[in-house]
Amino acid sequence: MSIVNRSTVLVALALASAPVVLSAQAKPAANAVVPLTTAAGEWPSYTGDTRGSRYSPLDQINKQNFGTLEVAWRFKTDALGPRPEFKLEGTPLMVGGKLYTTAGTRRAVIALDAVTGELLWVHGENEGERGAAAPRQLSGRGLAYWSDGKEERILYVTPGYRLIALDAKTGAPVPSFGDHGMVDLKTDIDQTILPDLITGEIGFQGAPVVGRNVIVIGAAFKEGTAPRSKTNNKGYVRGFDVRTGKRLWTFHTIPKKGEEGYDTWLNGSAEYTGNTGVWTQVTIDEELGLVYLPVEEPTGDYYGGHRPGNNLYGESVVCLDLQTGKKKWHYQIVHHPIWDFDLSAAPILADITVEGKAIKAVALPTKQGILYTFDRVTGKPVWPIVETPVEKGDVPGEWYSPTQPIPTKPKAYARNGVSLDDLIDFTPELKAAGVAVASKYKLGPVFTPPSVSKADGTIGTLTLGPTNGGTNWPGGAFDPETHMLYLAASNSAPSVLGLVQPSKDRSDMDWIAGFAPSAGGGRGGGLSVQGLSLFKPPYGTLSAIDLDKGDITWQVPHGETPDAVRNHEALKGMTIPRTGQSGFIVGTLVTKTLVIAGDPQVTTLPTRARGAMLRAYDKATGAQVGEVLLPAPTSGSPMTYAVGGKQYIVVAVSGGPYSGEYIALRLPSAGGR
Amino acid sequence: MLHRATIVSMLVLGPALGMAARRHASPRPTTTRANAAPQHAPAATTRHAAERTVWDSVYSAEQATRGQASYNQTCARCHQASLGGADDSPALTGSGFLGNWNGLTLADLQERVKTTMPNDDPGSYGRQLITDVMAYVLKMNGFPAGAKELPAEPDALKAIRIAPKP
Repeated sequence: MSIVNRSTVLVALALASAPVVLSAQAKPAANAVVPLTTAAGEWPSYTGDTRGSRYSPLDQINKQNFGTLEVAWRFKTDALGPRPEFKLEGTPLMVGGKLYTTAGTRRAVIALDAVTGELLWVHGENEGERGAAAPRQLSGRGLAYWSDGKEERILYVTPGYRLIALDAKTGAPVPSFGDHGMVDLKTDIDQTILPDLITGEIGFQGAPVVGRNVIVIGAAFKEGTAPRSKTNNKGYVRGFDVRTGKRLWTFHTIPKKGEEGYDTWLNGSAEYTGNTGVWTQVTIDEELGLVYLPVEEPTGDYYGGHRPGNNLYGESVVCLDLQTGKKKWHYQIVHHPIWDFDLSAAPILADITVEGKAIKAVALPTKQGILYTFDRVTGKPVWPIVETPVEKGDVPGEWYSPTQPIPTKPKAYARNGVSLDDLIDFTPELKAAGVAVASKYKLGPVFTPPSVSKADGTIGTLTLGPTNGGTNWPGGAFDPETHMLYLAASNSAPSVLGLVQPSKDRSDMDWIAGFAPSAGGGRGGGLSVQGLSLFKPPYGTLSAIDLDKGDITWQVPHGETPDAVRNHEALKGMTIPRTGQSGFIVGTLVTKTLVIAGDPQVTTLPTRARGAMLRAYDKATGAQVGEVLLPAPTSGSPMTYAVGGKQYIVVAVSGGPYSGEYIALRLPSAGGR
Repeated sequence: MLHRATIVSMLVLGPALGMAARRHASPRPTTTRANAAPQHAPAATTRHAAERTVWDSVYSAEQATRGQASYNQTCARCHQASLGGADDSPALTGSGFLGNWNGLTLADLQERVKTTMPNDDPGSYGRQLITDVMAYVLKMNGFPAGAKELPAEPDALKAIRIAPKP
């Protein structure tokens, strides 16, 4: 298996017949910092801007007409790789009348006409074995756009961890960038990626972000609940010159000997521990010249006994100088992480006013459904964060932090622990059945630690939040005019934090995630009750948080009531309000008047075909004002733009048996032509 | 060792790639509301009298145990021993999973697994292994076991639908 990779790049150049559309982003900038913005109806960065906002001031699509939206075009992505993809997560960019995005199992880059969806060019890399060995495969979340007013570039990271710069006009690699358009991200990284460049575990499936001519690239690894080893490659974060591809700086997310924070890794564990990357979106304040890193957990999602200590900068938000990579401040959100909370979502920059005082803030939505808010210049919490005593576990060899930081405001916007009160309670019988299921597990509030899985005892710690609760990579949406933050949350996706001792050929860790072999296979049924969720509704929510006050202004269930609830025999005749849906892949978009988000699950109603809704809510009240049926769940965060006087909304849909497709929606013409 | 990628640029007029990518594209805006309704999804509403559902004891306990061993060896590293999924791997149990497959058949599920799994070598698992793992997944979703094994043939699986408890 040591065949040389020979990547072939196909670049299709469309005839330049499309009408010229001038981009608002491409105006000459001289030396002034002109942040990427959605102000002129474009969407030039993954979250609209580089601030994590997902805000557009467009208002043609509104509460009166959302329900009349029609398909402008659709783009099926099956042919962009050797097989169809069923997990299309991209959010396209739109600049100057062209849509740019990633798609297909090899993560091709495509440029589409923003009005018609016509393919303008495609760039693909066949990375062979290196691609097949990549820890984060498939089409990824998107790409970055850069322009100096003359040249326009598209930047993305391949599954095999190479940074590619393309000419946005033609899709051709930029010869002056790196090595003929490519920078090998497995090299020049202050460590030797092991075991080799082909199979060495490190990658990145997020969208790069560019500010002040600096590209910031994170790192991602395989799913880490049951790692093969306590030793792994380290997820350093780097800045690159957007013109040359030259590395400008490297931030050691695990400090090297002699660096600040090294002493938070006892017994020299910083030497061999890995991961601790940034796999979700990085945020940049172009005006302040600062970058905000949401750092993930170190090696071993549920067991940290091989890395005693608080483990900086694991699960910390880190603020760096964008030009130099020097640390300005950091705040560790979870000490000695053992819950797989990571920091999962793009930090959101919010200029707010708290008790009469203007604050440039950064807010962090999390899987644990807690919003952490800081002054983004100083790193000081906007509302006090209290070191709160938490339960010490009893896993042999584990090192426990006695406290965890919990903000006083706002209150948690999603469930993040399990008590009997959280269980299904439609009927006394179902409640009893739910309690019987839960009795096999250790329960407790947020930060209840993982536990040893015992054949004659509890299976593990049952909780909500870790891995697939709260807010994950789709992030939130912030309205810079009203200072409201909108967050979708998965409210009923259970995680079981059970630990077993692996065989030596399985892992050199003392404990990994798993379940003790059960006597007689009696552990079927998993965590559902007669096909229903073990937890009571709401299964998923959409919240509006007033960042001037730190209060949740409104919270509504998000998502159609699942078929299993609507059709269940035991629930016949009951009136059950909309339950919302469990699922963390729910991206939000906020416009002048609306908050827009798709259902994470498919439903079939008597009144309509099988599908998943894209919903619009009145952003002031949370009342639903419109819905559009899509063939599959919205699997990437929605975006919007305007071209030729028409506003469009584009979503990625996929899931179950439905392969990836981008769908563009717009209002029907009024007629008269 | 990795060699530098060879980059081949070619100018094309668009038809090959353009048409391939737009195979399913609708050329003009449609005129109906609920416009993006599924066009290719299997018909969920057509039910045949002889059809069974996952509630009809369609797998055996022994098969599920076999499937559990395969699952733990091959699937758990991403989808978790709990089947609860992870950041990059969907859950194989619970309402999220059932919601996405509700109304479809076990043949649809088998085909999806066959096409895409495992992530680093798609298509390499045989149908029998996949079907055994499906039996384990059915068990973990609370569907009852029976005397007979779940058949591996796609045609037979087409007659078994994933549905809410009747």
